[in-house]
Amino acid sequence: MIYGKIWTVVKPSVGIPIFLAAVAIGSFSVHLALTLNTTWVKKFLNGSAATAAVIQTVKTPTA
Amino acid sequence: MSDKVGPTGLSEAESEEIHRHLIQGTQIFGMIAALAHLLAYIYSPWLK
Repeated sequence: MIYGKIWTVVKPSVGIPIFLAAVAIGSFSVHLALTLNTTWVKKFLNGSAATAAVIQTVKTPTA
Repeated sequence: MSDKVGPTGLSEAESEEIHRHLIQGTQIFGMIAALAHLLAYIYSPWLK
């Protein structure tokens, strides 16, 4: 494995914060995008778990 | 071989030791995240 040797050329005090920041920003971005673009995350975060996943369908009455 | 020192001043052995800890931390983070997603999915399945 060559990857373990990366810290001989990249300072850990620089590389590790960049790595952790990338993980944090990536994770935050995915969750923000889901919250802004779907209805079910908002419902889930507001505590209406039971109805969050249920798709409401209204049947139109037929004459 | 592992006594070779790079531009950062760390030897290959020291570098690999740091990397082992980073990998272990990533694995623990991943397991906690997977568990959190599993619990959230059990609580309220999404995309159904």
